[in-house]
Amino acid sequence: MDKRVTLKIARITRETELINTYTFKHNLGARPGQFIMLTDFEGGEKPFSIADCHADEFSITVKKVGEFTTRLFEKQEGDFLSIRGPYGSSFFISNQKVLLVGGGYGTPPLYYLARTLLDVGADVTVVNGARTKEDLVFCDRFRHLGVRYQSITQDGSLGQEGTSVDLARNLLKSEHFDFVYAAGPEMMMKALMSELADYEYEFLFERYMKCAIGICGNCTVDPIGIRLCVEGPVMPKKYVVQLTEFGRYHRDATGKRIEF
Amino acid sequence: MHNRLQTKFSGVTVDSPLVLPAGVMGMSYSGMSYSAVHGAGVITSKSLTLQPRTGHKGPVMAGFEGGFLNCMGLCNPGIQDGLREVNDFKERSDTPVIVSVFATNMDDFLQLTHHVNESAGDFLELNLSCPNVFDEFGIPLAASAEEVGRIVGAVKGISKKPVIAKLSPNVYDIVSIACAAQDAGADGLCMINTVGPGMLIDTKMVKPVLHNKFGGLSGPCIKPIALKLVYQTSSAIDIPILGMGGVTYGNDAVEMWMAGAQIIGVGTAIYYRGIEVFNMINQEILAYLDEMGYETINDIPRLEPIL
Ligand SMILES: Cc1cc2nc3c(=O)[nH]c(=O)nc-3n(C[C@H](O)[C@H](O)[C@H](O)COP(=O)(O)OP(=O)(O)OC[C@H]3O[C@@H](n4cnc5c(N)ncnc54)[C@H](O)[C@@H]3O)c2cc1C
Ligand SMILES: Cc1cc2nc3c(=O)[nH]c(=O)nc-3n(C[C@H](O)[C@H](O)[C@H](O)COP(=O)(O)O)c2cc1C
Ligand code: FES
Repeated sequence: MDKRVTLKIARITRETELINTYTFKHNLGARPGQFIMLTDFEGGEKPFSIADCHADEFSITVKKVGEFTTRLFEKQEGDFLSIRGPYGSSFFISNQKVLLVGGGYGTPPLYYLARTLLDVGADVTVVNGARTKEDLVFCDRFRHLGVRYQSITQDGSLGQEGTSVDLARNLLKSEHFDFVYAAGPEMMMKALMSELADYEYEFLFERYMKCAIGICGNCTVDPIGIRLCVEGPVMPKKYVVQLTEFGRYHRDATGKRIEF
Repeated sequence: MHNRLQTKFSGVTVDSPLVLPAGVMGMSYSGMSYSAVHGAGVITSKSLTLQPRTGHKGPVMAGFEGGFLNCMGLCNPGIQDGLREVNDFKERSDTPVIVSVFATNMDDFLQLTHHVNESAGDFLELNLSCPNVFDEFGIPLAASAEEVGRIVGAVKGISKKPVIAKLSPNVYDIVSIACAAQDAGADGLCMINTVGPGMLIDTKMVKPVLHNKFGGLSGPCIKPIALKLVYQTSSAIDIPILGMGGVTYGNDAVEMWMAGAQIIGVGTAIYYRGIEVFNMINQEILAYLDEMGYETINDIPRLEPIL
């Protein structure tokens, strides 16, 4: 059965002015890359990636972008929220030399992935990019984890000016990686893809989701029709290269095609 | 070898009796393809309206022991973009498509029919029975035999495609409504739409789980109701029935056939058994044919009709 649980917010961590992490005491049993559907029963139920997950708690990291996420930012520790999941596919867990490429609020699920990869003995490099210093999340957390870590901003507010794709491109020029993972804005992943012709990789995608259980069809991707809520959101290279809509359009809540 | 699952619905040959029902996976051409390659013999589009609709706010779907409640709220990209998805699918596939349309008045139904006439769709299905837009539109048209007859008759007058009327189970006397559709010229019936509606409550936040409060039931719990209504209706009419409601396993499909359905919808079962459910049920029907010594699906007997 598709199970819903209603939980108290155990902890709210302010990451930046626009990004909060919400931690819940619950054994979710999610794998890296999976997501939950979250609602406050005030109108709206939205997908969020698992940023970290332990036997007794899990967390999600949310960027304030619209009506629903703005309401989330008004919540206090101890308030109830209702979730269902975990849903969707998860990242392949490699024990070799891997590169993780994150952008903006896409980066948090890579934290749970990095932690899991370290556990199995992988050699992990993380590059993290955002528009400004204020949009860059999880820098300290990645550093504490003990991975090789680099970050960059588009406005140069950390010194170096550019995107995480620029950092990845430099690394790929001088080193070999056995597997590449990416999560972030679609155009970032599209740019990264052209660097990865010779690499195995997985990308974490976003599409408008309603049912999250593979029935309504709102999250199917052209032309193969796989469902991002079931076969995704993590897509291996063999699917990514087939997606004609990748970096071109997505479908909104009505199902209409919207160009990026 | 010939296809033992091949049958006919209103003059159209189908390679499998299994139908992807309206509102399930039919939002995009690729969702239709994905269902067809996994064994669906007929594809139904999402119910299309003249203008795009975002549908209700979430949660729009909620599970419980016996199935699901949904209140999608007829989200769809509108008839023009919706038919583009149908046409894009038909460019890639020979699988017959039922174009489902929804409206609340005669004028809109006629406009929608004109659009569908110009599409690559094979059938026109009139959704007269969505239970999830009550606040907006009131009692579904399918509650009134007179309204159903009036709309089906007018649409039949201009439609270039065979017309299917989709009926609601949530009425006192479905047989009289089915007869009204038949008398008005309907080429087939689709039944049943979701049951109820019903509700679920979150006991910690003291709120209805669905944002729309109420939603129609689908899945295993509605199968006995669907079988009973298909049986009663098929006993009383001559036009073919697209039967659906809770069909999850091959045996459910055979039951639906015996009750009088000619082709059989499989929707919510995609949750329980994955998109492979169509091929699985196809195989299970074939195993049943072998076990019972029937050559093709068309040899499976029907129940004695109610006199
Ligand atoms: C698999 C997946 C994982 C995600 N993980 C995260 C995450 O970890 N952190 C995070 O901050 N955000 C994440 N998102 C995006 C998040 O769901 C949206 O930011 C949120 O739904 C916005 O809601 P809103 O009402 O505040 O904004 P709105 O004003 O309603 O929308 C802003 C934008 O958010 C997107 N969006 C809105 N509703 C949905 C929906 N039902 N499904 C998908 N996208 C939607 C649309 O692109 C829209 O343009 C994820 C999305 C998906 C599909
Ligand atoms: C998520 C969802 C959306 C639906 N949307 C529509 C729709 O747009 N039009 C319609 O006529 N029926 C719609 N239905 C009803 C189905 O077509 C079908 O009649 C019903 O679900 C019973 O079949 P099932 O138990 O196999 O799912 C929807 C059902 C579900 C679960
Ligand atoms: S969100 Fe409904 S099929 Fe993926």
